[in-house]
Amino acid sequence: MSKRKSKRKGPYNSEFVERCKIELKRWEEGPVKDRLCGELKPQFSAYSSVLTEETRAEFRTGSGDFSIKRVYTPLDIADIDPIEDIGFPGEYPYTRGRDPVGYRAFQWPLNFYSGFGSSESAHKRYHDLVAAGATEILLALDLPTQLGLDSDHSLAEGEVGKVGLALNTLDDLERVMDGLPLASLHIGTIANCIGPWMLAMFHALGEANHLDPKQLRVRLQNDPFKEYTGRGTYVFPPGVAIDLASDVVEYMCKYLPGWEPQYNCTTTMRWGGCTAAQEVGFGIANLICYVEAAQRKGIKPEEVVPRLNLHMSTDNDFFEEISKFRAVRRLWAKTASERFKTDDPRILGLRVTIFTAANRLTAQEPFNNIIRTTAHVLASILGGVEYIAVPAHDEALALPTFESTRLANLTKNILHDECFVGSTADPLGGSYFIESLTNQIEEKARDWYDKVEALGGAVAAIEKGFYLKEMAEGMYRYQKEVDSGERTVIGVNRFVLEKEPAINIFKGDREAERRQTERLNNIRQNRDKAQVEKALAEVRRVANTKAAGKGENIVPSMLEAVRAYATVGEIFGVLREVFGEFQPVVIT
Amino acid sequence: MKKNIRVLIAKPGLDGHESGAKVIARALRDAGMEVVYTGLRQTPETIVQTALQESVDIIGLSILSGAHNELCSRILKLLNENGLGEVSIIVGGIIPREDISILKEVGVKGVFGPGTKMETVVEFVKNLVKKKAQA
Repeated sequence: MSKRKSKRKGPYNSEFVERCKIELKRWEEGPVKDRLCGELKPQFSAYSSVLTEETRAEFRTGSGDFSIKRVYTPLDIADIDPIEDIGFPGEYPYTRGRDPVGYRAFQWPLNFYSGFGSSESAHKRYHDLVAAGATEILLALDLPTQLGLDSDHSLAEGEVGKVGLALNTLDDLERVMDGLPLASLHIGTIANCIGPWMLAMFHALGEANHLDPKQLRVRLQNDPFKEYTGRGTYVFPPGVAIDLASDVVEYMCKYLPGWEPQYNCTTTMRWGGCTAAQEVGFGIANLICYVEAAQRKGIKPEEVVPRLNLHMSTDNDFFEEISKFRAVRRLWAKTASERFKTDDPRILGLRVTIFTAANRLTAQEPFNNIIRTTAHVLASILGGVEYIAVPAHDEALALPTFESTRLANLTKNILHDECFVGSTADPLGGSYFIESLTNQIEEKARDWYDKVEALGGAVAAIEKGFYLKEMAEGMYRYQKEVDSGERTVIGVNRFVLEKEPAINIFKGDREAERRQTERLNNIRQNRDKAQVEKALAEVRRVANTKAAGKGENIVPSMLEAVRAYATVGEIFGVLREVFGEFQPVVIT
Repeated sequence: MKKNIRVLIAKPGLDGHESGAKVIARALRDAGMEVVYTGLRQTPETIVQTALQESVDIIGLSILSGAHNELCSRILKLLNENGLGEVSIIVGGIIPREDISILKEVGVKGVFGPGTKMETVVEFVKNLVKKKAQA
């Protein structure tokens, strides 16, 4: 690792820098002035696309944070040290990626996030996906399940099987995963408030299939922060939720080496109005909080960081997003090195993963979304991210169909396998523009990170409504720009079709709720009631130790409850009684 | 003195995506209306109760989970039972085209999907209240 402090940072000698300044001035006053003099010279006027004036008084990045120059020159990287600040791939400060060989020893998986209706309909979709080559399936769960409510709870009415699949007991999971190649398929969920229960469910599923749970490859999002900052599917107060989530981290680090326990997802914060720099700064603050929560359970940063990742969005501004990914790796490396006083590459190399900007997809002319996501995916790859989930073009209308979800997924494979985009690591590294923007984003993100730390860290930032306030501002600003036409959205405020052609969209399973509640009642009748009560009493005992401040890990008790076919509502009902529910500050 | 239009923006059901609701709440407020935002996860009962307490002219429901048919029917029924039949309901969110007519049939006055201008919603609300005053 090279952290030496040299006298002169930049790559050029002062004589060259002076020459550049003179040349830039000459160019601005010559060709540029000439071009923008108000009338088109013959060499430009042949095409109707050529205008006499620049289309905007100022060009800014998509998130509005940075002004963009007409051209970038060596002067913009004159203060950057190519060795210290940019470095090599796979080395501190990881600007150029975490893998020394980039994508040259890499293959994009076919990864799907899918699930709807009752276990019958989801079961069929999962088999279709595996037959189509899926190597990873993340189970989309319905809202009652994500909130720890049974399908027959009064709040669940109308919601069962809608945005995902209903899971009430181990029986549902056994049915839905029946016949799938569990030993080779990566499975998981993105549910965030029921992490310990999901661990227990997958663990018990392995046992029911006569597999050692260690043989499964499970990936859980298990990220309570996401729910307080954009998605709203929270249950407990933040401190309690993070403690429960880090029980999962502790348990997996100790007993389930191949499982991935947690990742911080900033996508919904970004979608809710954050800028690129805020996404970086807030995301790093959130991750630091998770690493420290694991430390409190006796898990060292070098054990937990390699299993975590920052799951970000890729928004519309192509270059700002590419620079963002380079900036977030570098800022993490610097921050983590200060915070944990280490130069251990297991801690300093941050894995960045992506769910591209579903918020930029339009309900108008949904096929246009295929073009948008292609740009998002390309920016992600050029930024060196390690996993990409792509929303389907019809998701602004309904849940995706089998065809649309497969099409979206193949974007990254076509770019990688057919368009040669992975032939060299960090292909845009050294670009005057990209390096300059990477620096600017890092600097601004560092300010946001410092602001969160000054508030007392990520939990305090949530409790004080800081994130939500920033997001609401950004969201309102964006909507005003679209409404005024200052920001173009094709099909919405430019090239608008009077009458749109209809497309085929997914039709939900309207009988799912009835079938699901029937099955739930059946399970309740036919299980060993004494065993369920005993297991729930144990969950309560462990939860009470936490409430008393000497917390035991909740996972073993939850595993017993799942094995006894206790329902999600029963288990989380106990926890709700012990911990209470989160009451947010309402901010508009 | 002219009375300000009073609007309740509510998130019924379990869906937690609230940026749309917040943006609309702010746009209506900026247009001079008095806006109450409920926050997340409200039951039809609490929404109707809040509408009663705050004596609102209009309720705007934001729903992205697909539970719109069930939730709107229940809220309209409860409004009628509580003598609030005069209160209009509009809906924003992800609503499949075929469901728009179903919602309108049960009595929802307007349905606004992604890409709607804030101004469109503001004007719609103003006209709705004006028409009611004339009726």
